[in-house]
Amino acid sequence: MAVMSAREIPVADLDEQRLVDACLAGRAGAFDLVVERHRRAVYQLCYRFVGNHEDASDLSQDVFLRAYRGLGRFRGGSSLATWLYRIGVNACLNRVAAKKPITEDIDARQHVDTARESQVDRVLREERGVRVRAAIAQLPPKQRATLVLRMYQELSHEEIAGVLGSSVGAVKANFFHALGNLKKSLGSDEDLK
Amino acid sequence: MKRHLTPAQFVDLAEGVQPESSLPHLATCEACRRDLADMRAMMSAADTAGAPEPSPLFWDHLSARVREAVAAVADEDARPRSWRERLLQPLVLVPSLAGAIAVALLAVLVPRAPLTTTLPSTPLSVAGNAVLPTASPSLPPLAPFGATDDPQLSLVAAVATAGEWDEMRDEVALATGGSSDAVAGALTADEQRALRRLLAEEMARPRALESRS
Repeated sequence: MAVMSAREIPVADLDEQRLVDACLAGRAGAFDLVVERHRRAVYQLCYRFVGNHEDASDLSQDVFLRAYRGLGRFRGGSSLATWLYRIGVNACLNRVAAKKPITEDIDARQHVDTARESQVDRVLREERGVRVRAAIAQLPPKQRATLVLRMYQELSHEEIAGVLGSSVGAVKANFFHALGNLKKSLGSDEDLK
Repeated sequence: MKRHLTPAQFVDLAEGVQPESSLPHLATCEACRRDLADMRAMMSAADTAGAPEPSPLFWDHLSARVREAVAAVADEDARPRSWRERLLQPLVLVPSLAGAIAVALLAVLVPRAPLTTTLPSTPLSVAGNAVLPTASPSLPPLAPFGATDDPQLSLVAAVATAGEWDEMRDEVALATGGSSDAVAGALTADEQRALRRLLAEEMARPRALESRS
């Protein structure tokens, strides 16, 4: 049976490292596929960091642009997603250091499955979500990064340590303190407990 | 004294990595139990706060924005650059500046030999016989100018043909048995450059030297 070379395999069927190689070789559509596969996760990471759509959108673009420029340095030691998270966290930390985040309005809408939810429940849930996200946006940057990567991107503590360049112990401590600070911010909201 | 749980233990308990039974302290410490309950409540609250999902059209819009930005970067990289733009690139500019600073520091920090001798007040003759200075006893007597084994002339020739400052300095430092090494070593950078130029001009005229000898 003839073995297909990487060039003959459709980009959609390439594994991660081969997809990166295809990007570096300038193969058409390869980087588009990287963006398509990871755009949602990158956007959500950015959104949770900055708390508003405009900045999250700009940051997502910035993350992919940085990734494109630095793709030659991707060694495959971690997954491409983790590598993108690292770029994303750095971009977000730079952004929050330079600019106070504009958090969303209380009216921000979530497009989730609400078929079995009453109107009142949906409104209450959305309001709770806005309050929690606002509280997360007030956390110190490293605690925020740790909480977002653990709770929403579902990275392990070891992976977070790799992304943030710290120890697993420091990651767990940051996570612990992030939840403690979240409680302080939301302390008066009985319905959140 | 009671030893409360560490943050790492709290995290492992809250995430279910470690069973509560593995930490007997928890059964006896109300504060730790309360902290653990609060932590679980906050994890639950955070868990329910999903990020708002943007419009379905947004994803294609984001991809298009990234595609345009990447294309702009690729075009920019492919564009021929002027020497000034190339010089101002960080990968070129930083090493260049570092090199220039290193050379400047070297020029400032390299210790110079102090000028311990005084130049003779009597002008030196360039005629066949040297005029021996009488006012400066610290200077050794000069050999007749143009002699084949004249160490001064060897030094002058070596300095004049040295391609680099370091090379020239070594020549001066290694030269022995003459006054010119002490004098040349004590010159300022400007004086050394002027000397080098004059010597180079002089050495470019071998016939003139030969006619003197």
